[in-house]
Amino acid sequence: MEIRHMLSALWRNRTGPILIAVQIAIALTVLVNVAYVVEQRLETYTRPTGLDIDNIFWISTNGFRSDYNHAAAVEADLQWLNSIPGVIAAADTISIPQTYSGYGLPFSASPDERAPREGARVMVMTARGIETLGVELASGRTFSPDAVTPPQADGIGQLGKWAPEVVVSQALADAVFPKKDALGKTLYVGLVNQSAKIVGIIKNLQVAPVVGPFSKFASQVVIVPGVPPGPNASYMVRTQPGRQAEVMAKVDKEMADREPSRYIAFTQTLAKTSSDTKGWIRSSSIILGAVAILVLAVTAIGIFGLAAFNVATRTRQIGTRRAVGARKFHILRYFFVENWLVTTSGVAIGCVAALALGVQMSRMIQLPRLPLYYLAGGTLFVWLLGLAAVWIPARRAAAISPAVATRTV
Amino acid sequence: MLLHDLRLALRSFKRTPILTVLMVTAIAAGIGAAMITITLYHARAGHPIWWKEDKLFAVALDNRGSDHKGEELQKHPEYPPNTLSYRDAKALYASRIPTHAVRMYQTYRTLDPGRAGIKPFGVQGRVMTADFFTMFDVPMKYGTGWNRAADEAPEPVVVIGKRLNEKLFDGANSVGKSVTLSAKQFRVIGVVDSWMPTPKFYDVNAAFGIAEDFYLPFGWAEALQLPPAGVGCVTPDAKVNSFVDLLTADCNMLQYWVELPTRESVDRFRQFVDNYTVDEKRHGRFVRAPNNRVLNVTDWLALNDVIGDESRVQVGLAAMFLGVCILNTLGLMLAKFLGAAHVTGLRRALGASRKHIIRQHLTEVVVVGLVGGMVGIVFAWLGLWAIRVLTFIPGPNDSPDRLVMAQSLSHMDLRMLGLALLISMVTGIVAGLYPAWRIGRAAPATFLKT
Repeated sequence: MEIRHMLSALWRNRTGPILIAVQIAIALTVLVNVAYVVEQRLETYTRPTGLDIDNIFWISTNGFRSDYNHAAAVEADLQWLNSIPGVIAAADTISIPQTYSGYGLPFSASPDERAPREGARVMVMTARGIETLGVELASGRTFSPDAVTPPQADGIGQLGKWAPEVVVSQALADAVFPKKDALGKTLYVGLVNQSAKIVGIIKNLQVAPVVGPFSKFASQVVIVPGVPPGPNASYMVRTQPGRQAEVMAKVDKEMADREPSRYIAFTQTLAKTSSDTKGWIRSSSIILGAVAILVLAVTAIGIFGLAAFNVATRTRQIGTRRAVGARKFHILRYFFVENWLVTTSGVAIGCVAALALGVQMSRMIQLPRLPLYYLAGGTLFVWLLGLAAVWIPARRAAAISPAVATRTV
Repeated sequence: MLLHDLRLALRSFKRTPILTVLMVTAIAAGIGAAMITITLYHARAGHPIWWKEDKLFAVALDNRGSDHKGEELQKHPEYPPNTLSYRDAKALYASRIPTHAVRMYQTYRTLDPGRAGIKPFGVQGRVMTADFFTMFDVPMKYGTGWNRAADEAPEPVVVIGKRLNEKLFDGANSVGKSVTLSAKQFRVIGVVDSWMPTPKFYDVNAAFGIAEDFYLPFGWAEALQLPPAGVGCVTPDAKVNSFVDLLTADCNMLQYWVELPTRESVDRFRQFVDNYTVDEKRHGRFVRAPNNRVLNVTDWLALNDVIGDESRVQVGLAAMFLGVCILNTLGLMLAKFLGAAHVTGLRRALGASRKHIIRQHLTEVVVVGLVGGMVGIVFAWLGLWAIRVLTFIPGPNDSPDRLVMAQSLSHMDLRMLGLALLISMVTGIVAGLYPAWRIGRAAPATFLKT
């Protein structure tokens, strides 16, 4: 092939090809890194929550009068909610999964203050809490209703109130007991000097969409039986499939009047709560993705523009070549190969730049290092993009009639 | 002359409409993306109290135990916690070096309007010492704040935010009226006017949260055992089983700010803080090497990385995108000028000077740049609107303030508009300088022969 001629032709008019190569280098750098960051975020976004998320809604109530009796109100509310037809189970919880609100404590396998500890979100829940979440138990059993402790005066009092038994997530169990023998063991709670026996292990429960270095805290949970302290209550209600709207309507209509010393702040489906919490992942992915797509689009336009210009200025030469025996296929091949040379030199620079930016980004937003197969994928994509962009101009070049050579402009 | 150049430019655009549209679109997209990210960055990078830069200082002490868990996951484990424990704040408050000092934290209460038709609702506020209003130049619509004696007592008085005043009292002067917060009555003594420092420098853990609904004298923290919005216990032997424990353990929960009038008083106060932690070390606390900070607002916002890497990454990406757009326009422009070189050659042969040719082509690219810039501003405006809609969809449990916050974060002010125009001019010139010079340099004869 005529690669040498091609190179010398490119070199003679080098400004355009150099511009395109630099654009391709930047486009590849952006594409690879954005794809990686967005992929990492979407992994968090789409990770199974372990919850029966589509059939749960929750109610936030708040006692505001001095005659409000929290313990009595929660008992009456739960009895009523659990009696509504279509409800599988309802429970009061201290924090709602799939939100960032709530608190964590350090846990360890030994009472020693210096022993290694693992942080986990603490969820204080009333009887049937596990059933309400709709999570799957990997082993053991749910906590007994008798273990549920009465409400403490405030959140800080609740910190130190521990029932004799708890249910934990598999992630926390494995972190604290690496030998995977957590079931039946005693779990020690730092900061409050308490302990409890692990009676059940939940396969998977994502409490919050956490990304980055703290992401392990998304799935490390300890569920403690207890009535959370007042004056506010968050009731989660799990309904039979398809009956959520009906139950929510009944709650909205009747619940407030059942106890005037507290008000219903709102009711919301857990699916909506989860989607709101993840809103920032969605919007940041859209921003990053949009920029990457724009960079690619503009680069493709650049390749297209340069090729079209080349075809236009070389019309007579192409005609001459066709007249002396080159076939359409040769003309097509010429433009494709020429473009491929330019793209590839851009890709070469881009790979180095992408790796450099990857190192910088992994330091900045604390991600693991960019895997190399992203570069391979990006390169392939940019090659295809280049070929697609040059397609129309190359076809137009191939269609030039040999007769052009005989004409003057 | 300029008019003539403009007319030539217009003719050139008409000759190659698709190419012109492509160039304008490329520049517009680049500037649009750059302006969106710069606007978001600009809002986060604000300094809402710049006129007190050398007066206001935040205090941080490193009271962490030797093996505090979780810090290895932090980006800067060497930074001290950005809140103070209750006991340390109390000790520092005794210093007479600062002219003003404030210790405070965010808390939540339920407000009962006591009126038919309005449900009770949750409100967020701040329990804090009296100097807050003076130190941070808080604008008052009605009434005033309280004095230090009211902190001690504590007196049942409250200052409310403008928004809450509108909700409860339809915006009228409510000084002297009573407000029920979680079943406890307080007398309104002041109403804050519109005030939303962005970022909320005095509480970086809620840097883009909204302004408070209410402000209570600090004594109520203990008297009502008001729960803090965030607590971090940082020593392995901290034990917290009641609110009282929280006040004595190494559990960090308070923001601490001082106003220091002179450089000399800053040094003296730093010395005072260091002496304090050295003293405490003798009692078995502050086990690490001294790592205290007394920082002005700029350094404080930087230490806490209020801007965030996310917005830095976005600006970086947008800058790269703008770079691609400029290169692209440069390439297209060059192709276009060279494509029409025979016309230029003819003009040169007929007596147009090289300078004139360059100026004519520069006019053309600046016009492309400016039009691109204006379209880009429209793109940016649409993009910011989309971000507002996508990010901040208010839910039923959301206060409308989140939307207010979102608006202020994604608001493009006049300075940003000016910047956009400047960038578009520079873009046009950068993209056009080489092509214009190149076409001006060419000898007329090369283009005249066929």
